[in-house]
Amino acid sequence: MSLMDKMLALDQRIIFALMFIALAFPILNPIILPMDIQQYSRDSFEFADSIPAGSVVLIEGGLTAATYPQGGPGLEVQIVHMLRKDVKLVFFSIGTETAAWTVTAINNALEKLPSGVAAENGVNWVHMGYVPGGESGVAAFANDIRSVKTEDHFGTPIDQIPLMSEINKASDFVAVFWWGGSEGSIPFGIRQIVTPFGVPMTGMCTTNEVPNYTPYINSGQMIGIIGGVRGSAEYEYLMGMPGLALGQAMATNFGGLLWAFLVVLGNVLYFIARREEAAK
Amino acid sequence: MDSFLLGLIAGSFVSIGAYSVLIGDNPLSKFTENLYMGILGGFIFATNWNYVRTSAINPVLQGNYVFIVAILLCVMLFSRLKAEWLWLSRYPVAVTVGAGLGLAIRTSVMADFLGQINATILPLTSIDNLVMIIGTVTAAAYFIFTAQTEGPYKYVNQTGRIFLLAAFGVTYGQTVSFRFELVIGRLVDMLRPEVAIYTYVMLLLVALGLGYGYYTKKIKWYSGR
Repeated sequence: MSLMDKMLALDQRIIFALMFIALAFPILNPIILPMDIQQYSRDSFEFADSIPAGSVVLIEGGLTAATYPQGGPGLEVQIVHMLRKDVKLVFFSIGTETAAWTVTAINNALEKLPSGVAAENGVNWVHMGYVPGGESGVAAFANDIRSVKTEDHFGTPIDQIPLMSEINKASDFVAVFWWGGSEGSIPFGIRQIVTPFGVPMTGMCTTNEVPNYTPYINSGQMIGIIGGVRGSAEYEYLMGMPGLALGQAMATNFGGLLWAFLVVLGNVLYFIARREEAAK
Repeated sequence: MDSFLLGLIAGSFVSIGAYSVLIGDNPLSKFTENLYMGILGGFIFATNWNYVRTSAINPVLQGNYVFIVAILLCVMLFSRLKAEWLWLSRYPVAVTVGAGLGLAIRTSVMADFLGQINATILPLTSIDNLVMIIGTVTAAAYFIFTAQTEGPYKYVNQTGRIFLLAAFGVTYGQTVSFRFELVIGRLVDMLRPEVAIYTYVMLLLVALGLGYGYYTKKIKWYSGR
């Protein structure tokens, strides 16, 4: 068996091992490569930055254990961004697990807040928790919050929450930040909040879903999108708060370089093998 | 040892177990799969039960009897556990699907059709716009399966295929990147300075355990390439 045949029949476990090394190395030895800020991320940041103090924003927290490392750092920084601007935040989640991870994001963001910034539960932010029913649940929540939620995530009755006293439907918010992760729920927000109520929205999704949702940006139905760990890293960078996402984005670069090399090598070897086969 | 560190170590152990499936099915990968499903199932049940309790049962107890209908529909879903009563579960499913479809279609025309068509009607003032228009029209035309691929349509079809392949390439690249990010997300926690030593020890133990299992033929070796 020639070297080329051996390469073409390479055991995939060797590729897994190489990939593991390529991804782990930058985590153990942080290296920062040059990075451009994508326009979609910049648009998301600038839109959030333009929201006036005292406004109320709706945030859908859709991150899970798998997707939190990608979106979580960005969500945490955006919460810090909004609270520092005295923007009020109303969170909700359409998944059971995601509701719990939204609490993690809030707690981590509160730890990052500079002293003196108001961040009282029920006054500056409230987590309405899990809203079941998928898109139907979002529609019901957007039309009449009290019809689907009688209390917040922590059990406080909705009528005892000062922030919710004048909030009951989607049109009471100036914007929606949809941190959908990989739940594929951004169209729910477009269809049930943006289209019927005209509330502007930015989104966040995992990297693989970015191509699915960019048409909504081109059509003006969504203002920007934060894509995966790179989007989070860019939000961190624009906020001047480099953190976990930036380091992970660098590790993704190394993995991507190795992957691209293997794809090119595989194709070159394949074409050489095919030519040799034809010559015989 | 605080509970946070204990959680990280447990997470590291479970991640190694889950990733061990890459070298073939083994008892550890099966254990972590079942552990995950069990925990998630229990968590989802508890959260949903809490929602039903606060949003339906409590209102009924307070005299708002309209929620009895919702509770009844919930209970009817469980009728599928007995074959003779399975037909009963179709009613709540029909209500759920009907309401969901109705709500989605209500705004789909605007959000997913008109909005997207509007976004494609662009002035021919830049290369970007030209690419957008040609790409959209030719890619859509590629799916006209009732026409013969000959004459001028042949070139439209081929152009559409190039745009589709480019789109698939982007999606593939993004998907690979997403998978990297999933692994990196775990590695960040597993390789924290306070956890790394446990991760390395567990990797060694798992390697030894699986090596012994494969060597003694107690675990079937993965036969893929």
